[in-house]
Amino acid sequence: MAKEDKNDRYLVDYGEPVGIIAAQSVGEPGTQMILRSFHLAGIESTISTSGLPRIIELVDAKKKPSTPITYIYLDEKIGKDFDKAAETLKKINEVRMNNIAKRVLENFSKGKIKVILDRQELESEGVTIRQVASKIDKALDLESKVEDNGVVVNMHTRNLKEIRAATINMMKMLVSGVEGAGKGTIRRDESTGEFYLVSAGSNIEGIMQVDGVDRTRTTTNDVFAIYRLFGIEAARNSLALELKKTLKEQKISVDERHLNLIADAMTASGTIKGVGRHGLSGEKHSVFARAAYEETLKHLIHAAAFGEVDPMRGVTENILVGKQIPIGTGSVKLVIKKGDMAKIKPQGGSK
Amino acid sequence: MRDKNPKAYIYINGKVVGTVEDPLSIVNEIRSARRKGMLSGEVNVSYNDKLNSVNINTDRGRIRKPYIIIENRQPKLTPDIIEKLKSREINFNYLLRNGIVEYLDAEEEENMLVALSEKEITDRHTHLEVDISSIFGFTINTSPYPEHNSLARHAMLANFTKQAQGLYATNFNQRFDSRAYILFYPQKPVVTTAAYDTVKMTNHPSGQNFVVALSTYYGYNMADAIVLNRAAVDRGLGRSMFYKTYVDEERRYPGGQRDKFKVPPPTADGYMGEHVYSKLSEDGIIEPEMEVSEGDALIGKVAPPRFLEENLGAGGLEEKMRDDTAVLKTGEKGVVDSVIFTESTGATKIVKVRIRSLRTPENGDKFASRHGQKGVVALIVPPEDMPFTSEGIVPDLLLNPHSIPTRLTFGHLLETLGGKAGAVNGEIVDGTAFAEAGSDRIEDYGKILQQHGFDSYGNEVLYDGMTGMPFKSQIFNGVVYYNRLYHMVSNKIQVRSRGKVQILTHQPTEGKARQGALRFGEMERDALIGYGASLLLKERLLDQSDKAVVLVCKDCGSLGYYDHIKKTTICPLTKGSNFVEVEISYAFKVLLDEIKSLHIMTSIKLNE
Repeated sequence: MAKEDKNDRYLVDYGEPVGIIAAQSVGEPGTQMILRSFHLAGIESTISTSGLPRIIELVDAKKKPSTPITYIYLDEKIGKDFDKAAETLKKINEVRMNNIAKRVLENFSKGKIKVILDRQELESEGVTIRQVASKIDKALDLESKVEDNGVVVNMHTRNLKEIRAATINMMKMLVSGVEGAGKGTIRRDESTGEFYLVSAGSNIEGIMQVDGVDRTRTTTNDVFAIYRLFGIEAARNSLALELKKTLKEQKISVDERHLNLIADAMTASGTIKGVGRHGLSGEKHSVFARAAYEETLKHLIHAAAFGEVDPMRGVTENILVGKQIPIGTGSVKLVIKKGDMAKIKPQGGSK
Repeated sequence: MRDKNPKAYIYINGKVVGTVEDPLSIVNEIRSARRKGMLSGEVNVSYNDKLNSVNINTDRGRIRKPYIIIENRQPKLTPDIIEKLKSREINFNYLLRNGIVEYLDAEEEENMLVALSEKEITDRHTHLEVDISSIFGFTINTSPYPEHNSLARHAMLANFTKQAQGLYATNFNQRFDSRAYILFYPQKPVVTTAAYDTVKMTNHPSGQNFVVALSTYYGYNMADAIVLNRAAVDRGLGRSMFYKTYVDEERRYPGGQRDKFKVPPPTADGYMGEHVYSKLSEDGIIEPEMEVSEGDALIGKVAPPRFLEENLGAGGLEEKMRDDTAVLKTGEKGVVDSVIFTESTGATKIVKVRIRSLRTPENGDKFASRHGQKGVVALIVPPEDMPFTSEGIVPDLLLNPHSIPTRLTFGHLLETLGGKAGAVNGEIVDGTAFAEAGSDRIEDYGKILQQHGFDSYGNEVLYDGMTGMPFKSQIFNGVVYYNRLYHMVSNKIQVRSRGKVQILTHQPTEGKARQGALRFGEMERDALIGYGASLLLKERLLDQSDKAVVLVCKDCGSLGYYDHIKKTTICPLTKGSNFVEVEISYAFKVLLDEIKSLHIMTSIKLNE
């Protein structure tokens, strides 16, 4: 007797409507989520969207999460040392001119812009005035020099528009850190004692190029950022993980296979698709199923113009016309019809 | 702290009229003038020290409450004034005019310190509550022992009181309310309150005093169900009459046409058959004391046809009329109580027919006590099977003890005890909020009960009606005032197995008035899909709903029809008759028609 494979007992039966079951399994506890949308008292700037808004964001496949967060893990040596971790953070922290500028003085008659910098800010971000000046020269192709507590840019023109445009560009200019990395903080993992960084941005590609960042562990809650950097399989995992995390935060227990299924369905085409009108539901094969969901007329007219034929394989369209649905007990068909039985020769007959 | 404006603004009804340097003196001056009767008692003045403003209000819409004025630690309402009041020498207005009692609004109240009782008066107190129970509003004060119940239950009580059947008007026999419920033997409650008497609720009560035992009964009173005693019900407990009025009018229409009350002729459009009109008298209206049931005509009426063309077809001969008779609605029956003829302001005849029907308490009827404790009758037990006391008292109602602790309605228990004490003593018990200082209600009631040979806590040995054996534990019982609410099964019950369908979709109708079915909705559909029960789903949504057999043309895939004149089937496109019969939902046929109306051609491709 063959040994029973325990795994087989957990296989889903053929014809099982896994999608409906997943929807019901998430939907039922999900109703409670609206009623008690509590917020965790947020530490620092990294308060993330949670609960129903976050679920909607994930399921609708929003290109950018409303609160992107990157968890930056550090190489072993740096991670153990707070000062080194802080050093790495300075390399990542997105600092722009207007973060460190104390005052901006535009002298239109002389064609000069003077920016007085905040010494405290400079120190905490680990930038020198000299560095700022060279950054201005390189990034904006301007001529600047250091002057006691700030930088002076000589525009060699008295054109008001040019000077003002230069000022605005300069204020937006990245002084140090990684573009799109946001502001970060240092945290300590209580179990290992290791320091890691949390930043309010999702440019993991840029962040991973910083020295001392452990590329194997650094991650983000931005599913699309992961998709762009690592591909669709990683995006699927990230999506499923984010769904699980969000539900867990709300103390809602849903079997993770339901969430995996949602993530699978959303990524099966090779790109991330939302579940709504512009995603999975809008791309069903059946004309009737699409027309029954949203934008009825649009789908009917499109079907007429292109002569679409409804294959009648889904649930909605079969209910609509009154046929047995091809799910569960309806997913099996007779191979031999009653009338055909007579035509089959009995076995073991005379030769 | 913000700098104070040295001058205080004076507002009259929210509008600035000036400033004053010493705001308190003007406030005090206005107050003393009001107390002397020099100013209207409806003027309220207050000083807001945070905004440094004097607010004088004289407009409408302020909630105000009377308080006894305290002067030199002495309430101005002295015992001899109370004596004069009792002897009717003076009245309440005298108190207002002479500065003994004054009305404060919410704003002025903020300047005052109100003592709840004479004992707690200190130098800082300015006013005394008229009665300690007046810290509650009127609605709460009409319920007994309100301080022992939670606020949520008070909110429910307020709702139930509105729904109680009782003696809503003593001239109910002359009234033609569209619906009315009259309790046969209304009683005034054994436990009453001051506010309850003040509004003369005792003159038109809406309930009865039930003997209630806090006991389970073989699981029949689980989860807010109640068990009633058949003997009590047979003797009139909770018995009531339901009145319903049907109204019809002889309307006039533009063009000189008008309705006419009469027995409709069989030629009338929509004639329902002779048996329907059999109870109508010659004038087309039913007679009083006639027993009627579902589908019987009450007011026979013919109306002119809805559309003019129908009339032209008759060629000016006998005017074609439409039957517009008022018929007793489905599920109703009763006796015609009264019929009146009257006239509207537009000088059209109006007939009102009032139907009466008896409503004996039955399974499913709703009762509620005055503590927000509602329940539905689950069993009416023969008296011999009910528990009884050694004196032979059989409770009218068995309430499950589990319904008390979670709802925190301790007032219910107190009313049980107080009601019992009042009943054995033959006196009405006062259940106004807050017992008089120094008295303990439970002790007081216990003493009365003991005097009459009862346990002071209201517990008694009860005997099982089935076995005659005493129950192991003593059972708490007493008298509680119960309301019968107007939600009664006989007005709500409806069944259907097959029945009417809608014209457009051929799907079953919805709602009780239309003999409707219950909707098998989207979520129910999802549940069956989730279960994989595809044939059950098809049965629900097709076979038991809007199944239709249509003819599909094998050649072009469009729907054909049967031509009754040519006696053949015809495809509108190919004009052939090469058809297959296909079962589809009628809703799909309607959908195909609608798509056709968009100038989109559909064709059905068939396998095999």
